Amino acid sequence: MAGEDDKGTARPGAERPRKLDRRDVLMGLSTVPALGLFGYAWRRQHQYQRARIEAATAAPVAGGALQEINVALLGAGAQGQVLIDAMLRIPGLRFRAVCDIWSEYNQRRVVNQLKRFKHEVNGYEDYREMLDKENALDAVVIATPDFWHAPHTIDCLKAGKHVYCEKEMSNTLEGARSMVAAARETGKLLQIGHQRRSNPRYLHCYEKLLGEAKLLGRIVTVNGQWNRAVAPDLGAPDRYAIPDARLKQYGFKDMHQFRNWRWFKGLGGGPIVDLGSHQIDIYSWFLGANPSHVMASGGLLYHDPATHEWYDTVMAVYDYDTPQGPVKAYYQTQTTNGSQGYFENFMGDQGTLLISESEVNYAGRLYRDPNAPAWDTWVQRGYVTAPKLQEVKEQAEGAVADVRESVSPDEHLVPVALRDPYHQPHLQNFFDAVRGKAQLTCPPEIGYESAVAVLKVNEAIEAGSRLAFGKDEFEV
Amino acid sequence: METGTLGRWPMIAITVMRVFVGWHFLYEGIAKLTATSWSGAGYLKQARGPFAEWFRWLASQPNLLANADQITMWGLTIVGLCLVLGLFTRLAALGGIAFILLFYFANPPFVGYFYSLPTEGSYLIVNKNVVELCALLVILVTRSGRFAGLDRIVHGLLGRRPRLAAA
Repeated sequence: MAGEDDKGTARPGAERPRKLDRRDVLMGLSTVPALGLFGYAWRRQHQYQRARIEAATAAPVAGGALQEINVALLGAGAQGQVLIDAMLRIPGLRFRAVCDIWSEYNQRRVVNQLKRFKHEVNGYEDYREMLDKENALDAVVIATPDFWHAPHTIDCLKAGKHVYCEKEMSNTLEGARSMVAAARETGKLLQIGHQRRSNPRYLHCYEKLLGEAKLLGRIVTVNGQWNRAVAPDLGAPDRYAIPDARLKQYGFKDMHQFRNWRWFKGLGGGPIVDLGSHQIDIYSWFLGANPSHVMASGGLLYHDPATHEWYDTVMAVYDYDTPQGPVKAYYQTQTTNGSQGYFENFMGDQGTLLISESEVNYAGRLYRDPNAPAWDTWVQRGYVTAPKLQEVKEQAEGAVADVRESVSPDEHLVPVALRDPYHQPHLQNFFDAVRGKAQLTCPPEIGYESAVAVLKVNEAIEAGSRLAFGKDEFEV
Repeated sequence: METGTLGRWPMIAITVMRVFVGWHFLYEGIAKLTATSWSGAGYLKQARGPFAEWFRWLASQPNLLANADQITMWGLTIVGLCLVLGLFTRLAALGGIAFILLFYFANPPFVGYFYSLPTEGSYLIVNKNVVELCALLVILVTRSGRFAGLDRIVHGLLGRRPRLAAA
């Protein structure tokens, strides 16, 4: 190539063999110092960024001699991947096994990933075989489709393992009840994956802003949503397809149903369960009560009924009888337009809390009603940020403001950020509990209450009427 | 010995330009590599222009997107490194041009397109991507790596071999 470049140029001498002289070497290396300068500038920049991130993150758990926990992953799909990525950042874990019926693809992917991180893991298709052979396991993390949660969790608990099980706890209340019973019977830990329960921002809002400072006053209404844009059905390359016999053995009709189980009755619960249960769990947590009634409307308005069974659009209204008084709580989820994303919004007579798990959108904003007492104390204590300066509003020409129009409330931010993957604190809480150093933030009883509240929405849509929750319906 | 195709001062100016363009590529790559989770998905999803459909399709395929993200991050870093050092300069310039063409045609500032991702200036058809692409064209055709850069050493070492020189 070097020779080619010289052909056709005006300097015939270029093709003559020649030696490198001192000048060539100096000129050759003359731009290397630029790289040094770059390295220096980049390091400084990186340090500033690190310092900013560290300032925003809570102090890490002290390392030292951590008792190592032997972990297996049961269910290596998209959610299993999310959990693995978070767990790889948690010290003191030793991965031993990965179980997934899709041995051709998902299982292999996660096994290979863990091996890259120097974990000696075995891959399994059958979880019973895994429980038989992997005697050293302390804990199993379950991220299989909802209808497998109960059998998987119960068998793992009975084999003497602590279990972290993704939400929804189960697609049936009988399943969820038997999971609570198995946890009590075996005395093993069972954490349900409502990960906002361990999120430092939610904990700050619950303990400090609502519990101690009572910034919202008397909460009367709640609204929340998860709007998600249309997503194509998940596919799989033919060469990785699971043989039909194996799909049937594990309860799936075909590869399409296996990949898109969330949309099928008897397997999952549809968007209200996949998305809504996270947020409706927060309604009950922050209000300190379980709902008394629910009415709901929903349907399969957009997606193809041939390949989708559950409602793609759901709107629900809950009634709560809280210790402070009655509350109405609205929730909607739809899967055809992602505008305004997902959040929960609590409105009291003194203020509003707009919060979301997202670190990017609605990460935590508070609005103080102009009639409420000043929040200076809470700003000084660092519970909320100083109010945002209001923009001077230009009055539209000719506009006449009504005297009854409300004055804009002050906007404050919740000064707590999470700079780790969203699921990491919840998994950390589980493993801390396994070591006896923490209480579970979402034990099975809470997961059960949440399942009761959420599964009732699908019932109410089918019934087409307002349904009441029995007083003892949340007990197990 | 070798002063490139132009005089000394023009070659120095072009070399300075090469180092700066390389610096920019290098940091674009490294910043993405060190970010906790960078992905080109947002950029691809708002694609416009003649190849919009292809870019959006790429963004909707998680496996392909992951590969495209890796290629972008490492590609930018390697191109940047080579341009700063003047190593395989012409190949690096070509690679850089290929990247910029992809970026440009994903979100071209054509008449009548309006974007939501922030830009720091005002553009009509020509944006800074195109200007950087032109800079790479100049670097490509002037052999600045052989004026000041590791190519000069590589070329000098290989140049002694008669077999290669005659090729």
